[in-house]
Amino acid sequence: MNSDNMATRTASHSERRGAHLPPVVVYDNVRKLYGEFVAIDGVSVQVNKGEVMCLIGPSGSGKSTLLRCTNALETVDGGRVLFDGVPLPTDETNARKVRRRMGMVFQNFELFPHKSALDNVAIGPLTVLGISETEARARAMKLLEKVGLADKAGNFPSGLSGGQQQRVAIARALAMEPEVMLFDEPTSALDPETIGEVLNVMKRLAEEGMTMMVVTHEMAFARRVANWVVVFDHGKVVEQGPPGQIFENPTAERTRDFLGHLGWNG
Amino acid sequence: MNLDWTIVWQHRWDLAQGAGLTVLLTVLTMLAAVPAGMVLALMRLSRSRILSTASLWFVEFFRNLPLILVVYWAFYVMPVFLHIEFSAFTTGLIALCLNVSAYNAETFRAGINSIRKGQMEAAIAVGMSRWQAMKQIIIPQAWRRVLPVLASTWVSLFKDTSLVSVIAVGELAHVALQIRSSSFRVLEMLTAMAVIYWLMGYPQAKLADWVHKRFEVKE
Repeated sequence: MNSDNMATRTASHSERRGAHLPPVVVYDNVRKLYGEFVAIDGVSVQVNKGEVMCLIGPSGSGKSTLLRCTNALETVDGGRVLFDGVPLPTDETNARKVRRRMGMVFQNFELFPHKSALDNVAIGPLTVLGISETEARARAMKLLEKVGLADKAGNFPSGLSGGQQQRVAIARALAMEPEVMLFDEPTSALDPETIGEVLNVMKRLAEEGMTMMVVTHEMAFARRVANWVVVFDHGKVVEQGPPGQIFENPTAERTRDFLGHLGWNG
Repeated sequence: MNLDWTIVWQHRWDLAQGAGLTVLLTVLTMLAAVPAGMVLALMRLSRSRILSTASLWFVEFFRNLPLILVVYWAFYVMPVFLHIEFSAFTTGLIALCLNVSAYNAETFRAGINSIRKGQMEAAIAVGMSRWQAMKQIIIPQAWRRVLPVLASTWVSLFKDTSLVSVIAVGELAHVALQIRSSSFRVLEMLTAMAVIYWLMGYPQAKLADWVHKRFEVKE
């Protein structure tokens, strides 16, 4: 291995992507309670610009909840979430303005079943941004092309496979031209053979420089696409770092344990 | 027993007029009670305590009173206490609307609640307000789900309009019962009344069945 190669390797390990830019999202000692249950217990993490952050960990460890606190679908009970340097507003009107700048993709797609694929994508800009119908549809068509579903534009969700539905859902989120994309277990409800098509779309998005937070159980994706991996357990961050470190050289016992249970041995 | 069926034929135009009024009452009641039910349902589901409670009280009040009592009340009590007096037809219409609005409110509420929570979240996540999400995403889906129930309500309402005959609204039941008492042709008139109601009601019930099938929710 020549020295050049060594240098880049060291750089990629030590310097986190987007470290020189102001972070997009910052979680500052965030706590979230459901009654007595502590869903998130003092989490401090930051998401840099252009970074793909994967949140991994056992079910119920607080990953999805943290994601839902990011666009104020859930309110935090302690600490702060900052988006673009500003704490999330607590009133509906201002929260809505922030949500427009974030895209979210759900585990169960949540496409609107009474609208065609094209209208699913167009409805956001049409309703929220108040752009013309022609413009919204043109934008929607471009995005469907981007996720490889231009030929399905007229289909209703019930006429699409799970993978296709999730790609439409990604297009729907992109239609608002978000600054960060939140993926909540985007492939967990999919048949194995359609997972790949969704992950490929996400990978391409990552390559275009989109800032992404991905809650996932797809370790291969986290390893290959993420720039930063955060391991959750019982509402706390157990460990975080570049995928190379997390998957090959985890420092926390709990990370080793979790990855071991997945049949992943580095 | 000697039966004289000509009495029915003799009064065919009165009966036709009565039947027309029955249909008119049904249509007008539904025209008012669908939007009213929707408004009540949205009030009930709104975040405002006041609106929600007001809707709850309205619905529970009129849903749990016998319709015939509401009809009598509107006719005899409302003018005395509220100093509002309408024609018998309008009074009957109001009583029917109060009752059916309460039922429709519950139907819409159930329909809206039957839509997965994730749909509202998905709409909110693209930046819609709760009201925009309701209008664009939730209500259009709920509407499809409640159509069969509304069709059933329609069929019930069609028959229940006969109750306003007690305040002398000249709909089918009232006309038939009037002829009965003036001609003493009880058996003939009651039979004729049953046949007319059934002949008019049956196609509506079939239509309701068709709506049930046609709008069955497939996901």
